[in-house]
Amino acid sequence: MKDPLAQRMLSLVALLVAAVVLGAVLSPHFLMPSTAAYLLQYVPVLGVLGLAQTLVMLSGGPGIDLSVGATLSLVSLAIAGLYGLGLPLMLACLLGLVLGGLLGATNGILICVFGVPSLMATLATMFAYSGLALALTGGSPIGGIPDWFGVLAQGRFLGIPIHVWTIFVPLAIILHILLARTRPGSHIYASGNDERAAFLSGVQVLRLRFGLYCLAGVLAGLAAIMTLSWFQAARPDAGKGMELLSVTVAVLGGTHIFGGSGRILGTVLAVLIVTTLQAALQLANISQAWQLAAIGILLIGSFIADDAVSARLRVRRLRAV
Amino acid sequence: MASVATKASRAPSRPFRVGREMFILAALAVLGVVFATYSDAFLSQRNLTTILRNSVDLAVICAGMTIIIIMGGIDVSVGGIVAVSAVLIGRAFQLGLPAYAVVPIGLAAGASLGLLNGLIIARTRVPPIVATLGTMYIFIAVLFLVIGGVWISGLPSTLSFLVLGNILGIPAGLLMIAAAYLICWLLLRRTPWGQHVVAIGCDEAAARLAGIRVDRTKVQAYALLGLLGGLAAILYIARLRNVEVNIGTNIALEAVAAVVLGGANIRGGVGSLIGSLLGVLFIKVTQNGLVLIGISSLWEPVIIGGLLITVLIMDALESRRST
Repeated sequence: MKDPLAQRMLSLVALLVAAVVLGAVLSPHFLMPSTAAYLLQYVPVLGVLGLAQTLVMLSGGPGIDLSVGATLSLVSLAIAGLYGLGLPLMLACLLGLVLGGLLGATNGILICVFGVPSLMATLATMFAYSGLALALTGGSPIGGIPDWFGVLAQGRFLGIPIHVWTIFVPLAIILHILLARTRPGSHIYASGNDERAAFLSGVQVLRLRFGLYCLAGVLAGLAAIMTLSWFQAARPDAGKGMELLSVTVAVLGGTHIFGGSGRILGTVLAVLIVTTLQAALQLANISQAWQLAAIGILLIGSFIADDAVSARLRVRRLRAV
Repeated sequence: MASVATKASRAPSRPFRVGREMFILAALAVLGVVFATYSDAFLSQRNLTTILRNSVDLAVICAGMTIIIIMGGIDVSVGGIVAVSAVLIGRAFQLGLPAYAVVPIGLAAGASLGLLNGLIIARTRVPPIVATLGTMYIFIAVLFLVIGGVWISGLPSTLSFLVLGNILGIPAGLLMIAAAYLICWLLLRRTPWGQHVVAIGCDEAAARLAGIRVDRTKVQAYALLGLLGGLAAILYIARLRNVEVNIGTNIALEAVAAVVLGGANIRGGVGSLIGSLLGVLFIKVTQNGLVLIGISSLWEPVIIGGLLITVLIMDALESRRST
């Protein structure tokens, strides 16, 4: 195999197949079309957050956004609250995306303007956002989202949930093209690989990263809209645990935690692996404990594998010189 | 590279970051005045003792976390370590083992889980945040498998004196905290090992070139944090005599928050044990006071997050001035 990253994608496909086989062995109900639909129901929310995490990580720094889950909770509450105040739901959703962008911009200011390490900055905003989400609502959910809005996450087209068609797949394709085929995409990889070299060749590294943190906030807002449509209510703890899961998905998908290498396809495959594993173990009625253990082992194992890949990449780069 | 140089030259000469400690102390004082004006009970001896007792587990963990963060590492799995140790202690009690057998079990469990973290981090070069994220999932899984989704309650009170008792008229909890911090301070500031920890935090590659056994020191530091996690589990059970299913969920992030509030730099090399202790007190006083003055305790993370952001911006401005 020539390209180590392509090899990584192949091993992810193999893992996915293994997860499906495991599901089929564990439960006779697994290999049914209804399972696929059920499984894909879970994919877009984690998937969109995983894509956001991938972008932030790719641009280096090292970049990480622990506040995506809290942003999701806060935005979904804001949308439900604005709708409750009498705003049209679509306008409320639009304002929700703007709010997501602003919350992301707060991260961006802390990290890119003040130079706070991303881990600390987003840990602090995670406390603040998730705390606000709980405190402003007293911990109780806001309901009253109309039925027609549920179509987005609950409706099906050709057996596949509508939000997979309309949000997740287009977003993944757009981001893939952005990273693989456009100038900003190469700038993201360049900043992640060597921020000094990128800066010296004219890339506005900090401005680029600031933009990506804002984008991550907007994407978390998008995920919030999907959860809102799914549950038809805004829960203050909707995004709890999502921050660590989105990091897991990005790293499992081959994105290097210090930036510079990774692919959208990898993150998409990783989301599918994690959800397949969860669905398989759930259908087979196996304790949630094993799901957690599997995620933990996958995370560490994938990083060790990734380290081997990047070591080989380095060797190739040296040979090329 | 200027920042590395200033960090290295500052770390040994300024082991106490007086400025930061004074800031947290001032913030604590403001908070105390607010709480005392709105609630008569806040300054009562009984309430202050309660705050102290509630702080014991987090305080003990933060002593170890300070060392890890000074070393340039992080451990988000420490909540899982506390949970697994606590569950093993609970099960040991249920099997009828006496207290003097249970305490070593808890300490050994914590230390070996910390050792596992250290080995993964030092041997495989997985970054600490990823490695401990992974082991956290695994530890929580172990917790579920052992505890089976039910609380362990009604444990014997043979250990309660460790937190609730008085020794020579001093609350025992205070003595436990003092002992943990004294030992960690001696290790960090009065032994070659502590110097190695600071050196690794300032510049790991340089420390390696200078002949410091970086990997071994890392493993030892993570094992030490694990040991303190086991101690925290013992103190938790001594205090509450039960084990909840969700024990330890917030401990890791609270500990990191407390340590950074106390002046540690997440990039390594800089940190203060006393500052971390004040950070713990700040968190626990906020928790306690909000309830007393009738504000929902749900606001606590907002206050901690807000102060954390303030402190991080202060740090950033300070380091900009010095370069």
